[in-house]
Amino acid sequence: MTEADLILYIVVATALVFDFTNGFHDTANVVATSISTRAMSPRLAVVYAAVLNFAGAFISLEVAATVADAVVDASAITPTVVFAGLTGAISWNLLTWYFGLPSSSSHALIGGVVGAAFAAAGAGAVHGDGVLSKVMIPAVVAPVLAFVVGALAIVICYRMLGRQRPGPVTRGFRFGQIISGGMLALAHGTNDAQKTMGIIALALIAHGSLEQGADPPVWVIVSAATAIALGTYTGGWRIIRTMGTRIIKMDAAQGFSAQGAGAAVIMASSHFGFPLSTTHVISGGVMGAGAGKRLSAVRWGVAGNILAAWLLTLPAAAAIGAVTYGVAHLFGDGAAGPAVIAAVGIALYFVTIVQRARKGQPVPG
Amino acid sequence: MIATIVDTTALLETIVAAFVAGLGVMFTFSLAILGVSGSIEANRNGQRLQAAFYVALAVLGTLATIAAITLGLIIMVG
Repeated sequence: MTEADLILYIVVATALVFDFTNGFHDTANVVATSISTRAMSPRLAVVYAAVLNFAGAFISLEVAATVADAVVDASAITPTVVFAGLTGAISWNLLTWYFGLPSSSSHALIGGVVGAAFAAAGAGAVHGDGVLSKVMIPAVVAPVLAFVVGALAIVICYRMLGRQRPGPVTRGFRFGQIISGGMLALAHGTNDAQKTMGIIALALIAHGSLEQGADPPVWVIVSAATAIALGTYTGGWRIIRTMGTRIIKMDAAQGFSAQGAGAAVIMASSHFGFPLSTTHVISGGVMGAGAGKRLSAVRWGVAGNILAAWLLTLPAAAAIGAVTYGVAHLFGDGAAGPAVIAAVGIALYFVTIVQRARKGQPVPG
Repeated sequence: MIATIVDTTALLETIVAAFVAGLGVMFTFSLAILGVSGSIEANRNGQRLQAAFYVALAVLGTLATIAAITLGLIIMVG
């Protein structure tokens, strides 16, 4: 095994850990609405979401192509750069998690890779137009779109069914949530697992194992799908324990509307290769479904937190990615830098989780 | 400047697709629920013709919902 192989293994393992935590953190977003309206039991909802997360990862490769090609110049990237970018994303996620600040794993990932590429090869390695057109503008448009679609959908529903008896309507939408919740889990798997596929593809290109512009190999797709599904399944059991305190109260029609809007926006965006923050989109759908019923039902504080996350995450993760590359580079161009940083990172991660769990504090999504 | 950098066509198609899918499925599924709810009510009142109309509405709404979701998935996979 060469040193380049060792770095590649570390990068792939780190990417899959990132994917696992992505599923772990996002379970609440995918299943909370179905559980809160009693459309599904918590156990069923979690298993269902995990299975459809796995299936969703196989639907499309457009987002993976964007991450691998459109954001940074793959020919200027080394496995150490990809590692530094991943570390930047994970570090920022952990930092925001520790201080209870909102964060988008997707924006952190893109920011981390951009920052590390900038530090390693200068501004020429970053596709500024790709970052703007494929990441930043969709990041602003998508949650607003989900909000508007969610709000209009609930207005349509209340106009059509407002005079019907509530019993059959509620039962109907509870059944409908099995479909909309499944579509949301499928959409989540599609968009989020592909980001990891794109990162691993980037590392394989840098390693020389994959042609630039080629689709990720099957083992990459299967491992990314498995990691996000396992993360969703594992994260779900913690969600079940905390149900009833952190969920948003809504009726079944609002749940259907929010999930449908979220799934529609994420799937349409995935089809065109936009890597989104699924958390922001789902939050937009939930707020829209609330606003469509009553404007004061919107949690404007959540909207403010999303705005803060938009402004902070990309530059902060980029800065950490750049610094991580600098630190790794101090150990030379071999595997020593990534190996040392990975070991320190793993140790810090588990210390943080144990400390947080002892204090009884939740893991934010 | 921004317009030349941004893939406006893809962004607009995303917006249109999200509206059509999100609102279309809500409309067709609401139609199905309206049909089921209306047929229960009509049957209870002994209005056979109205009940048959609502059953047809429920079937139409259900089929349209299934078709919309299937079409969406086919487009995604394709």
